Amino acid sequence: MKLEDFGRFVIFTAIYAAGTLGLPKIPLFAYQIKIGEMASAFVAIFGMPAVFGLTLGQFIANLGVEASPIASLSPLFSFIGLLIIHYARKFSTLAGCVAYVIITSLWLTFLLPISSGISLTEAAYSAFIDQFIAVIIGYCAYVLVCKTMLSKAQAASN
Amino acid sequence: MKMGTDAETSPAQPEEHVPEYLEHSAWPVLIALATGVALTGLFFLFKHLVLLAGTLMMLSFGAVLVGFLYSETKNWASAVSKSLPRLPRDTILGPFPVDISLTIQIIILTELLLFGGAFGMYFAIRLQFPFWPPAGTPILDDFIARIQTLVLISSSVLVEWAVWQLKRGRQRAFKAGIVGTTILGSLFPILQFGFEWPHLILNNILTPASGFFGATFFLLTGIHGAHVVAGVIAYVYTDIRAFMGQYSPKNHGFVEASSTYWHFVHIIWLVLFALMWQGSRLLG
Repeated sequence: MKLEDFGRFVIFTAIYAAGTLGLPKIPLFAYQIKIGEMASAFVAIFGMPAVFGLTLGQFIANLGVEASPIASLSPLFSFIGLLIIHYARKFSTLAGCVAYVIITSLWLTFLLPISSGISLTEAAYSAFIDQFIAVIIGYCAYVLVCKTMLSKAQAASN
Repeated sequence: MKMGTDAETSPAQPEEHVPEYLEHSAWPVLIALATGVALTGLFFLFKHLVLLAGTLMMLSFGAVLVGFLYSETKNWASAVSKSLPRLPRDTILGPFPVDISLTIQIIILTELLLFGGAFGMYFAIRLQFPFWPPAGTPILDDFIARIQTLVLISSSVLVEWAVWQLKRGRQRAFKAGIVGTTILGSLFPILQFGFEWPHLILNNILTPASGFFGATFFLLTGIHGAHVVAGVIAYVYTDIRAFMGQYSPKNHGFVEASSTYWHFVHIIWLVLFALMWQGSRLLG
């Protein structure tokens, strides 16, 4: 990562940290959508600065919530998931996003019963649905941005 | 890593001799040492430990400062007159005397050490308590802090956009972006020192004397606020140079350096926001 990428890195850190700490979760039916997770798909556009930024953002967001010490490992699993999105972008960003959802949800399924005391089934159910909805909303925004960029590039070349 | 430097587009110019008194001066080291001695003296005075030694240490700093002013002021006129022609006045640029990218890396490193120490202190204090924040600490209203966060995010995005426009040669958009960043940036200390601190202190909600949380809160947010003010000053200077037409797609070293500093200040704020506002809600 170059020093010139520092700005993007910080912006993604802020999106995750401020999106989690400063903004309430969006209620969708019975689910709570974490705004910070929506930025995950954009790793495919912004690359490693976004990967590091979102990971640090999650670390900072965890500083502000009461969580068990084991929760501090969460950014590690996010980092692995984000790396997969980054490297999978050449053939399918969607596949990368699905892999991210699976990895982070599995971790949350393990973590939530320890930190919140809820049952394993409940944890798995809520983790998968919450993560899936947030990341898919982000993916739709990503597709929209890609199409806009593509049409602008085509207009410029014509 | 290579940032656009101010020297990149400079026309070939003969090497300018740097005067001897600027190159090998002992004054920076002396002043730094004297500052350390003065701060130790200040500590002695505040703690009523060794009053005479404290006073002498403070006086020694004053003596060094007087010595510096006495011996150096006679060179200032010639130093300024030699430096002024170096400052570019149009889009044809003169050389910048230092590698700006290396400079900003050193600055960021020193800032990391400063804030690392400050946060280390915070966590060291925090570990002394079974619960944090300690009982009796008020739950801070984070309304202003949220606005400040929004201001910093907006300014970070705006300055990135401004640099992006500059790299494409769009001067008007760049100037608009950089001025917008300055305005947003200046909102931050206004909110902090003009609204939040007076609100907390005058209403006796939280003061520097109200326990460990109050002391660390004002110390950390104060240090950060001072850095934001420094960033705003850097942006005002950047604005002036921008309107003098001193930046171009190949010459944006100072703009990137100031934006890097700004982003760093932004990250520190996120950590502060998490620890001081969100962290203080845990007890409630």
